Amino acid sequence: MGKITFKLEGGGESTIFATPGETLLGLARKANVAIDAPCSGNLSCGKCKVQLLSGSSDSQKTIHIDNAQWDAGWRLACACSVEGDAEILVPDVASAYRSRMKVSDLSSPDELAVFNSLQASMEEAGLTKESGIFSLPVRMDAPTPDDTMPDIERIARAVRGATGAGKVTLTYFALKQLPNLLRANNFALRCICERREDTVEILHLLPIADTHPVCGLAVDIGTTSVSGLLVDMESGKILSKASAGNGQIRYGADVIHRIVEQQKPGGIDQLQKSIIEETILPLIDLLCAGAAIPKGRIYRMTVASNTTMNHLLLGVDANALRMEPFIPAFFHIDAIPARDLGIELAPSAMIKISPNIGSYVGGDITAGALAGMIWNRRELSLFIDLGTNGEIVFGNKEFLVACACSAGPAFEGGDISCGMRAIDGAIEGCVIDKETTEPSFSVIGGEKPVGLCGSGIIDVTAELFRTGIINGKGKFIRDGARVKFDEFGIGSFTLAFAEESATGREIVINEVDIDNFIRAKGAIFSAILTLLGSLGFSPSDVRHVDVAGGIGSGINIRNAIGIGMFPDLPLNKYRFIGNSSLAGAYAMLVSKAAEEQLLKLSKAMTYMELSVEPGYMDSFVAACFLPHTDERLFPSAKTL
Amino acid sequence: MPFIKKPRTLKPLGAVSIGTGERAVKIGGGNTLPLYFFDAKLSNPPAVGVELTDTAWDAAELPLLAKAYEGAATLAERVACAANMKGVDFVCLRLEGADPGGDNLSVEECVKLAQEAAAACTKPLCIAGCRSEEKDVELFKALAAALQGQNVLFLSAKEEDYKTIGAATVLAYGHKVAGESSVDINLAKQLNVLMTQLGIPKESIVMNLGGAAVGYGFEYVSSTMDRVKAAALEQDDAMLQMPVITQVATETWAVKESMASQADMPEWGDLEQRGIQMETVTAAACLASGSDAVILRHPVAVDKIAALVAALI
Repeated sequence: MGKITFKLEGGGESTIFATPGETLLGLARKANVAIDAPCSGNLSCGKCKVQLLSGSSDSQKTIHIDNAQWDAGWRLACACSVEGDAEILVPDVASAYRSRMKVSDLSSPDELAVFNSLQASMEEAGLTKESGIFSLPVRMDAPTPDDTMPDIERIARAVRGATGAGKVTLTYFALKQLPNLLRANNFALRCICERREDTVEILHLLPIADTHPVCGLAVDIGTTSVSGLLVDMESGKILSKASAGNGQIRYGADVIHRIVEQQKPGGIDQLQKSIIEETILPLIDLLCAGAAIPKGRIYRMTVASNTTMNHLLLGVDANALRMEPFIPAFFHIDAIPARDLGIELAPSAMIKISPNIGSYVGGDITAGALAGMIWNRRELSLFIDLGTNGEIVFGNKEFLVACACSAGPAFEGGDISCGMRAIDGAIEGCVIDKETTEPSFSVIGGEKPVGLCGSGIIDVTAELFRTGIINGKGKFIRDGARVKFDEFGIGSFTLAFAEESATGREIVINEVDIDNFIRAKGAIFSAILTLLGSLGFSPSDVRHVDVAGGIGSGINIRNAIGIGMFPDLPLNKYRFIGNSSLAGAYAMLVSKAAEEQLLKLSKAMTYMELSVEPGYMDSFVAACFLPHTDERLFPSAKTL
Repeated sequence: MPFIKKPRTLKPLGAVSIGTGERAVKIGGGNTLPLYFFDAKLSNPPAVGVELTDTAWDAAELPLLAKAYEGAATLAERVACAANMKGVDFVCLRLEGADPGGDNLSVEECVKLAQEAAAACTKPLCIAGCRSEEKDVELFKALAAALQGQNVLFLSAKEEDYKTIGAATVLAYGHKVAGESSVDINLAKQLNVLMTQLGIPKESIVMNLGGAAVGYGFEYVSSTMDRVKAAALEQDDAMLQMPVITQVATETWAVKESMASQADMPEWGDLEQRGIQMETVTAAACLASGSDAVILRHPVAVDKIAALVAALI
């Protein structure tokens, strides 16, 4: 048995004892050391590189490690077991996935403007901001020998008088508060109530002088990242916002790997723990600290997430989701007490989960479609959510059809060796000179570049193709000062030399990155084409396209069309709506009408399973080409 | 209801010519769906090629095959035999000896062999490599230069090496090249797009769509070819209008029906007859699916398929 010490580059260390043959990745998971492993330890992604500082290892060399790195002790954690004691350096890049992924959490003015316009259009459509939860100051007479009414009737009568409710009830928790709080506050209290039709339930009792807002929490749980809003439910005001990487990511980058992980002994608990204890609870702490509000003042939480994520969140076995015929345990479930999930909010707080409509079209999409207003338009619209899974909704006021495709994390900066979230230092736009092959960038924050975010990789791919540096397959075919080939013959393009980058390290995009991205865009486009085709429509019938997701608001639609990711439609038909899933979760939180509309919409939406669609695979292979194998679908690509 | 003949007039597809002078053969160029000779007069009948390797076959249980090459001691003599076989339109020489896992002949030795073969060959020549991608690239570069002016068809360029092979064979020395894909219409088309973007003229490209022996997933081959021909003819898809060549022999002589000896499988009967049947049936199915040229190994199969083609037109 050897003693393994993980030293984190950013500081800190963790020690664990290993039995022979255990991989470093497995040990790191046990020791709670975060190492990014999008492929969940299949030697295919090369993200889990660590450096052996001391000790000897038994490992396998892969194309992800060059000779110099190998000699310096760099190994893939998933392909390396250690004999005896060892010290392992975990570099920042291996653990930085928590912060690296682009999260649309309304932190930029652009995002906020998009969010506000979505909320405004929902209100315009009659979804008024009326959550049903409100605070009510009540003053009662103190009991006397002549007035012997018990406390509960006293407060019920007062609330009935103030609200006009037919019936007033008290939660058990409020009942326990009642006698002491009444007497300590001279029979004047602030009641936090929830109205349900003719009934008002008192959730929580507070001293009359209390002024904290009545809070709710809207959370978007993505496969890669999680973002949340703390909201004043009476005014709809956003009190604070925060985001984080999904703690489950070390169990694999995509939902299938997570489900497989859930099947291992103890897996259900482990995955639930990593989303709740490692991700949501710290996020809530952050949100509450940001607004200086105790957690106990959060009375409702809404969650928009894909079907796998909400199964894993609730600790429900998701295995049937990945096996034909792909059946989830639930589409819609009634509200669940937060305490049942170990989430400590107000004692009576309930969690509402945005309904799923299929195994791979979940509550994030129904919430997003709600916010995108596709259900309220007469013209045919397309809603595209670019995430780890790409989801497409097509329809109008009268019908809605949805499907999902697996795009991988490329749009969020994952699966790309120089990928990063759209924060300061990210290349979000790029132009390459056709003569000199010199690139010029727009970098978020305007300083030297650090890496490439989702909108940046669209531009870089489009430009490399336009300038003839890569061919339609994404392979390098032109020589230049910035084009290199490694010992395995894999080509790459240096976006920034060491002296041009902010980190002093080269920023390089290689054929593997481009290939990952081409597959991601191919999945999206072929899903659109298959969905439309199955209903007898073609892209030219679409009048309006909403693009959602954490890809960054700087997305260049012209380039996205140029590489065959989106249908060749006039640019003015496209609109970027940001993190629509979070916008939908927010709407569901503050508006009962929105919640009802969401339920209605989810019942009206038809789910199409692409994997059983005979033409999909063929359409996917055709789309894995720049711009497309059938160039007639992209007439405007020629003019790029 | 009586059958009313409604001939359809479609635009003729591209033809590719291999060989030189009077002996040149044109492959493809039809304007009908496969074998729909009642729709239009055929410009070029499907071509039948015979393949041989620089290393001799193991003809232990194949007396008819051995007889066809009887008395031929050198490669040049065997090539001459092959070219004179009944029904043969072109000869395909496979340089198996170059295989680094086998005899590992040097590029120079292979060039010498190919030159001897070309000199002895009275029919157009195809050259196939040894299936080691790295060796084939080196081999084709040298062979293209050595066989300049003979308009040879090289089998095959793939997505990984189309640039080097295409440039060396077609762009530098004016030969013809087959683009090999693995039974997928989109991959076939993508390779054609890439090769034409490299500057290779459409008239120099033949499609090797991949194959299978009948009973071994042939329905994929058949449906792929159907769709390629439909796209080429009915949707005027220029990037799928190149002629289709199919290496039938390499598929059919590698399955157990054509390999298990009679001693092991007495109930299956004579090995050679089985092999001939597998090859003939697969080749006929390929022609019906859209192959413009088939490459066979056994003289009896070559004769039968040539007779079939002659009877149909």
